[in-house]
Amino acid sequence: MTATSASPQKQCLLTDLPDEVLQHILYYCSANHVLFNVQRLSKRFARLASEPLLWRYHCRVEFKYWDSKHRIRQKFLGNVVDVDWKALYTYRSRVDAQTTALLDSILEGQIDRISKFRTISEFGYDTKDTLVRHCHTHDDAEDVLARRYYATAVLDHVHRSKALAEWRKVLHGEKVPLERALGAFDMFVLHDQHGDLQEISDLFDDLAIRLRREHPGLNHLPPRKKALIAVKFLREHNYVGLSSELAYRDLQNNFIGIALQDQDHPSLPLISVGIFCALAQRLGLNARCCGIPNHVHAMVIPAPGETLDDRPLREGEIQAQPMFLDPYRFDDEISEQSLRIMLSQYGIRPHQFAEFMADTGNENLILRTSRNILATVQEFRAQVGAATNTGHPTIRLYANPFADMDNAFYAALWANYIFGNPARTMELTTQRQFIPLILERFERLYPMDATLIEEYIVPQYGRQDHISEIWELREALRVVRAADQTPKQRRLRDTPAAREGVKYKVGQIFRHRRYAYTGVITGWDMECGMTSAWIAHNNVDSLSRGRHQSFYHALVEDTSVRYVAEENIEVIEPEVPSTLMSLAGKFFKRWDKENRIFVSNIRDEYPED
Amino acid sequence: MSEGTVTKLTLVANDGQKMQVDRQVAEKSVLIKNMLDDLGDDAMLSAEIPIPNVNDTVLKKVIEWCEHHKADPAASNDDDSDSRKKTTDIDEWDQKFMQVDQEMLFEIILASNYLDIKPLLDVGCKTVANMIKGKSPEEIRKTFNITNDFTPEEEEQIRRENEWAEDR
Repeated sequence: MTATSASPQKQCLLTDLPDEVLQHILYYCSANHVLFNVQRLSKRFARLASEPLLWRYHCRVEFKYWDSKHRIRQKFLGNVVDVDWKALYTYRSRVDAQTTALLDSILEGQIDRISKFRTISEFGYDTKDTLVRHCHTHDDAEDVLARRYYATAVLDHVHRSKALAEWRKVLHGEKVPLERALGAFDMFVLHDQHGDLQEISDLFDDLAIRLRREHPGLNHLPPRKKALIAVKFLREHNYVGLSSELAYRDLQNNFIGIALQDQDHPSLPLISVGIFCALAQRLGLNARCCGIPNHVHAMVIPAPGETLDDRPLREGEIQAQPMFLDPYRFDDEISEQSLRIMLSQYGIRPHQFAEFMADTGNENLILRTSRNILATVQEFRAQVGAATNTGHPTIRLYANPFADMDNAFYAALWANYIFGNPARTMELTTQRQFIPLILERFERLYPMDATLIEEYIVPQYGRQDHISEIWELREALRVVRAADQTPKQRRLRDTPAAREGVKYKVGQIFRHRRYAYTGVITGWDMECGMTSAWIAHNNVDSLSRGRHQSFYHALVEDTSVRYVAEENIEVIEPEVPSTLMSLAGKFFKRWDKENRIFVSNIRDEYPED
Repeated sequence: MSEGTVTKLTLVANDGQKMQVDRQVAEKSVLIKNMLDDLGDDAMLSAEIPIPNVNDTVLKKVIEWCEHHKADPAASNDDDSDSRKKTTDIDEWDQKFMQVDQEMLFEIILASNYLDIKPLLDVGCKTVANMIKGKSPEEIRKTFNITNDFTPEEEEQIRRENEWAEDR
């Protein structure tokens, strides 16, 4: 290496630097700059810019989430030359650009959105990094609310697709780890937060490492001791149970990912047992959930031909007894005798005991969790209306509580649909009965899920099925798809009646004069445009100005959509309508602080508002 | 070595110029540090250490950098450089230090590479990366006197590879 200018004439140039130094420089250039500019400089730069190590570095630092089809963890651990890292980077970069373009186009107009959602979600988890980035759009962006809202909506849709795929595996009898079967509920409410299926599994891996560190000799202990140490560990660190029985029905207690990450780790018995089993399985124990009615227990089953105490089987003993645990409440083992007493208190006959004291399987756990969620939502709704709503369950998950309650409810409906047994038509809740409930949410909140309904529900019924639910299903899909394909009718203020008769405009905040809720105007009619049945039901004619006054579509803080007569509107001008901010992105670009009004993103429909 | 005394080393640049340098400063160079470890203090402290690949001007400049950074903590070996995102941020003093002509910049980079002074090599490489940033291939070629040796077919092929990103 001749590094110096021993002869003063010879100038030192960039190209005099050795390969390893130029390579080092490339690491400090952005990946796209290398792709689009640096590798076009010369043959030498093109060669240096194709080093797999450079692209593995970019793949590793620029992307966090990868679709499972890449098996990315194996790739990172493997030999660097076995993978075309540059091609992989280019692919991801392309997905990023296409996702952004599709999202931009979703924001541009209220048309053909379903297929755009679909195209993005077909990229699978490869699109997540890009969507998360848009979820964190800067406050100053011109379309900040809309961009965050729709990025989150697409991401939620991607998460739901993943959750349903996981449940389908459970349904088809594939081996799905318990924490993933339960974690699918988290996917419905996760948004841009930490705690997806992979991250939940990683949290358990970390927990197992921590437990082993606190108990170095663990591996040499017999299974029974190991199990007891695991329960004690979880209870000592407050990973199971609830701080107060008063909070029993809180919505968050149903989500295993929230339970792991929340500082109080709240969980229902079922989730506590799930946490114990997922941890115990990582210690090599055959830990299962045992379906005692009302209160799921954990059981640890000895390996065939072995016992939980490392003693040999007794003569004539074919299979040693399992042990039972209630990590939600107790450090110690639960004797078989006390379980039998508990079961007979529930009115179960001794000959049925064996059925309840056995591994209950993922399907049943998913169904029970979904019923717990439905119970909470129903209790919450019942008590909100009631005069005394002290002590009703809280619904705080990750984002807007009302929207997340809808999401949790929707998850429970899907779980009930997927795991409801179509064969047992005599059951109280049949699979089919969940179709109208799913459809109602689909039409109002999740039109992008048309593709999921077509994938998971429609194929189960033939063309000849003339059951009312199926007819309703096809009709709902047709209506939602048609609405998605039709340009919105333009609503102009081009007549004196529209100019003078419609006093308020899209984006204004109001308080309802009679019901006192706060909402934002999202549209208007020059007079009541509802059916006569609706008019009668809502006593429109008893209003002082009756049905012949302008009416407004409105989005309300609790996510509901209302139709309000002008005389009931009292426009208010808050500094920031904080309860509406996360919802308003559906129709609005941003909050205009100066004029105290939301800036419309539905000009295709109301061009003059 | 008794405590409190500053031991000095004598470095000799390739044009014969000698320089007295504090041991702590010279040891920013892993090359020199390893020589000290291998040969033993006594031999090294009395002898002159030739630096055959670096001339006087560049060596002075490199020593100036080592002098300023002598109290910096040594970079840990286990920092897995491949899994963390690299930044091109350069602290203010280093930015000023690097305000030299291109030739000197590349000489410093070469010297730090030869002497194995990783943090200085990083600063040099970042400086070059910042000079490349935001420039078209033609601008970069002009700035750094790089000859385009592609055949038209090869150029066309690279262009086509990147076609998907043209209108982003």
